[in-house]
Amino acid sequence: MKISHDERDGVAVIRFEGNLDTNTAPEAQDTLDGLVAGGTTKVLVDFGALDYISSAGLRVLLATAKKLRGSGGNLRLCSLNETVAEVFEISGFSTIFAVFPSEAEALEGF
Amino acid sequence: MTGAGARTSSQGARLLRERSTFRVVWDLVIVAAVVLTGILIPLQIAFIREVQWGGSLLVYLLDVVFLVDIAVSFRASYRAGGAEVTDPAAVARRYRRSGFTADLLGVIPLDALFLASSAAVGGVPLALLLRATRLLRLQRLLRSFRRWERLHNTNTGYLRITKLVIGIFLLIHWIGCGWFLVAVLEGFPENSWAVVAGIDGLDRGSQYLRSLYWGFVTTTTVGFGDIVPARNAEYAFTILVMVLGASMYALIIGSIASLVSSIDAAKAAFWDRADGVSQYLRTRAVPESLQRQIRDYYEYIWERYRGSSTQQFLRDLPDPIRLEVVFHLTRELIEKVPLFRQAEPALRNALLMSLQPLVLVPGTFVVREGELATGVYFVSSGELAITTEGGERHLGHLKAGDYFGDLSLLLGERRTGSVHAETHSDIFFLPSADFERLRSAYPEFRKVLREIASAKSEKLEDLVAAGCIL
Repeated sequence: MKISHDERDGVAVIRFEGNLDTNTAPEAQDTLDGLVAGGTTKVLVDFGALDYISSAGLRVLLATAKKLRGSGGNLRLCSLNETVAEVFEISGFSTIFAVFPSEAEALEGF
Repeated sequence: MTGAGARTSSQGARLLRERSTFRVVWDLVIVAAVVLTGILIPLQIAFIREVQWGGSLLVYLLDVVFLVDIAVSFRASYRAGGAEVTDPAAVARRYRRSGFTADLLGVIPLDALFLASSAAVGGVPLALLLRATRLLRLQRLLRSFRRWERLHNTNTGYLRITKLVIGIFLLIHWIGCGWFLVAVLEGFPENSWAVVAGIDGLDRGSQYLRSLYWGFVTTTTVGFGDIVPARNAEYAFTILVMVLGASMYALIIGSIASLVSSIDAAKAAFWDRADGVSQYLRTRAVPESLQRQIRDYYEYIWERYRGSSTQQFLRDLPDPIRLEVVFHLTRELIEKVPLFRQAEPALRNALLMSLQPLVLVPGTFVVREGELATGVYFVSSGELAITTEGGERHLGHLKAGDYFGDLSLLLGERRTGSVHAETHSDIFFLPSADFERLRSAYPEFRKVLREIASAKSEKLEDLVAAGCIL
């Protein structure tokens, strides 16, 4: 999995590419933890290039969201592909996270 | 109009439907009237032996009831070939062929012609003897019982017991009346049983009681010997009663045995099966605690479903009826589980038809850690516990209205948590194949799930954060 990130209007935008599963979750967690530790309070995870997410990936997102909430920050998700969107919708994660169709819509009013 | 008990046919005639309230009430009235006739007429002939104003009025009132019954029978639908026949012409034709003649003979007041006459046979007024034609009404009693046995869902065993009790009581009543009538017709000679027993001068009530007592003693083959025949007619009557008594005794024993076994047939068959399972488990040295759990399961199934496992029973039904039954059985679930509340009728029916009911006794595991997802579970009643790490860590409870098993199915992962029943629970299982089929056949399924997912988001967040995937 490839992870890249940049900053837009004070929001850290993280892009995951490939599969976010047990093997890649630690790397994703480290990246996100690093951002939170560095004082970032607004994180947008762009799933546009993500093919699959496992329970380990979901735990990474939950842990990050919890940390951000603790520091008065916020986590948003955007550009979920059809498969991932279905998992989020059916299992109920779309109500736990703020999910947006595109990056632009997610950044709006962040 | 069926509620009011009538239906207007194409010919304009009013037909009384078999399940109408009127028919049910009328059947009860007729059964009571037949029993009253069966008691009253022999009593008048054997013990009253005079035309009394009150007794006659009662007899004619009963005649009116049976006259109305003839009119009712001409308009009462019947059942043939599994269907209710509601054609008035067919109904009338059938009644004319079966029952009408006996009913008609039973209401013709032949006795009225001799009310003022002093004609008598052996001291019994002819008018009273002619009232015996009304006993033809007994066949009407059998018709009512036959109808009830076919029509009602109640255990026919109880109906047969009622029929047997009425039959035995009437028979012994007639035997008692007949026994006294023998003495009456012979004019109470000195050696007749009634004179020897010293009841010829007693009041009617005492006479009846002694005669009835003799009927019971003889038919039940007890035979105390305190009242014995002395004259030929009495011997002949006693022989007849002995034959009747022996047959009745055999009939009673046979009927009671058959009734007891038929009333308890379902129970006996169920517990035979349960005992067979217990015996097998004992033979195979299955742990005592598991044996107790299985016994508990059978007891719960018996208490809750009277032995008919829902699943087994549903398999025998055609789809449309099964849907109706499932809809009824799961109405509680439909009200409690948001999935059913939110789903459109078509999706809800498809869900209901795919659900498999499961009955759980305390301690039974529904899903275990490490298992592959096989479907989604919906809790209908009871309380279940979520655990991980081999049951060491308790993560929460599931109760009526909750569902689980969807996440491991969607993610294609093995479960990392277990769920077991803490109380007796009823749950419904939606197999993964059906879950997938519904997802593709009903696009709104996903929408419904999204809408209802918020209710379980908090619990879901805690479980996933704790590493528990169900």
